[in-house]
Amino acid sequence: MTACLEIAGLSATLANGVRVLRDVSLTVQPGEVRALVGESGAGKSMIGKAVLGVLPPSVHVIEGHIRLEGADLLALPAKERRTLVGAKTALIPQDPLTALNPSRRIGPQMTDRLTKILGWSGEKAEARIRQLLDEVQIRDPARVVASYPHELSGGMRQRALIAAAFAAEPRLIVADEPTTALDVTVQKQTLKLIAAMQRERGTAILFVTHDLGVVAKISQKVTVLYAGEVVEEADTAALFADPRHAYTRALMRATPRYTDPQASLQPVDDAVLAELAAEIATADRQWRRPHG
Amino acid sequence: MAEARIAVRHFNARLWLSGAWLLIALLAAIFAPLVAPQDPLAQDLMLERLPPFWLQSAEPGYWLGTDSLGRDLLSRLIYGGRIAFIVAFVAASVACLVGSALGLVAGYFGGWADRIVSRIVDIWMAFPPVLFAILLIAVFGTGLGSVIIAIAVIDWTRFCRVVRAEAMAQARMDYVESARIAGFSRIGIMLREVLPNVLPSIIALLSLEMGIAVIVEAILSFVNLSISTDDPTWGGIIAEGRLSIHQAWWVLVFPLITLFLTVLSFSQFGEGLKARLDPVLR
Repeated sequence: MTACLEIAGLSATLANGVRVLRDVSLTVQPGEVRALVGESGAGKSMIGKAVLGVLPPSVHVIEGHIRLEGADLLALPAKERRTLVGAKTALIPQDPLTALNPSRRIGPQMTDRLTKILGWSGEKAEARIRQLLDEVQIRDPARVVASYPHELSGGMRQRALIAAAFAAEPRLIVADEPTTALDVTVQKQTLKLIAAMQRERGTAILFVTHDLGVVAKISQKVTVLYAGEVVEEADTAALFADPRHAYTRALMRATPRYTDPQASLQPVDDAVLAELAAEIATADRQWRRPHG
Repeated sequence: MAEARIAVRHFNARLWLSGAWLLIALLAAIFAPLVAPQDPLAQDLMLERLPPFWLQSAEPGYWLGTDSLGRDLLSRLIYGGRIAFIVAFVAASVACLVGSALGLVAGYFGGWADRIVSRIVDIWMAFPPVLFAILLIAVFGTGLGSVIIAIAVIDWTRFCRVVRAEAMAQARMDYVESARIAGFSRIGIMLREVLPNVLPSIIALLSLEMGIAVIVEAILSFVNLSISTDDPTWGGIIAEGRLSIHQAWWVLVFPLITLFLTVLSFSQFGEGLKARLDPVLR
């Protein structure tokens, strides 16, 4: 079976030569949710952007492959790649406010992709969006479609964006911290909604997050990232039962637990970070040698 | 919530007041031959330096008095408005089109486009504007066209800088990224996604620029570098009024008030319009 998404040996640098991704490999099987965890700056969003082809101009992929259902994205001409990525993937963004154009109504923004990439007619796209809005439990789809983004609450906006992401039946969704910008009360509902829609359709999701609580709820597989390097990869259940890497264990101790609110949070141990830094320095040296 | 409502009402007041003044002044200028009580060029030394209507020895029909050649001040102000509005609309529009287009490209595309445009703007802004205008008019010769060109050539940088900064901020927004993923071209995104969000600022600035154009035209008329001295201009009237300030203060004061109200209205109208157009503030 071809993997839905296969990233192999992906490395990327900034213009000044600093590596932001170090030999990252991960796969997402069809219908699977893979969580990508790490602290801010670990490069987890960068991987999502690389898949979608929207890396900032300052970041350059220097080696590796990104295969979407077998097609090597980095080898494709820009236009073909855009069409393929547009047809087969979708993004659930982090901040539902900035992800919507403030001066355009929600409806046209949601149908854009359907008409542009999939070549649907306007009516067909609109009907589809209404149906999806219904499915994400938005009570008055007609009103939402005619609203400007600022007229809706954050939770409503995020649900509309989730509807838009699932509308074209993508094979893969990149969810870039989709609950981080929301109120805690809305976070749980949103997560449940994504999980339910995903299960129903069997969409593969690359779920970028820094929240291990979210990982436990939604994903089957986890990849832990530190400073652009994969430090651990496992089934979610296995990872929580038996974290192998010292950094993963440290990360878990740094997560608040509702079951034990008295327990104080443990910051990641300096010794662990020092060890990681040494590991990365070695990797960088080895990497530089063959590349000059 | 209450604060927001008060703010909205406040915006409306200034929008309507400034809009009303501009509309009255504009209509008067357009229909000047019908509205003006006298011929603005007719001299009558028997009627020189008549005071405005509420003072003794005022003549009916000469509401704001006459200047030292016996020409009716109100009629001259109304005809002067024609030049002021033509310059305001044409010069500001040209400056707006050029400046906004370059600013949008520089801000959205960044990189080389931005570097080139920004350097040109930096160099441009190093010239003192009024001297630059006088220089340009020395080259093109006096006349309405020259005044318009001079203002547009000087002030496009104002639009360029603001639009560049706003386009830059918008280009970083996630919705631009989403549009990229949805397969839109860069130019398509610039026009469809970014431009509408920059438009309220462009319109506010356009209105402000019209006020500035009116002032610049008045300055150039004042130093006699605008159009021929026969046609009344606000700056020209002010220049004449300055010479007879002790005998006939009204010849200086009324054009100054007219100029002040018009420029103020342009800027307030722009701000009010921006608040109206901005989907988030609306």
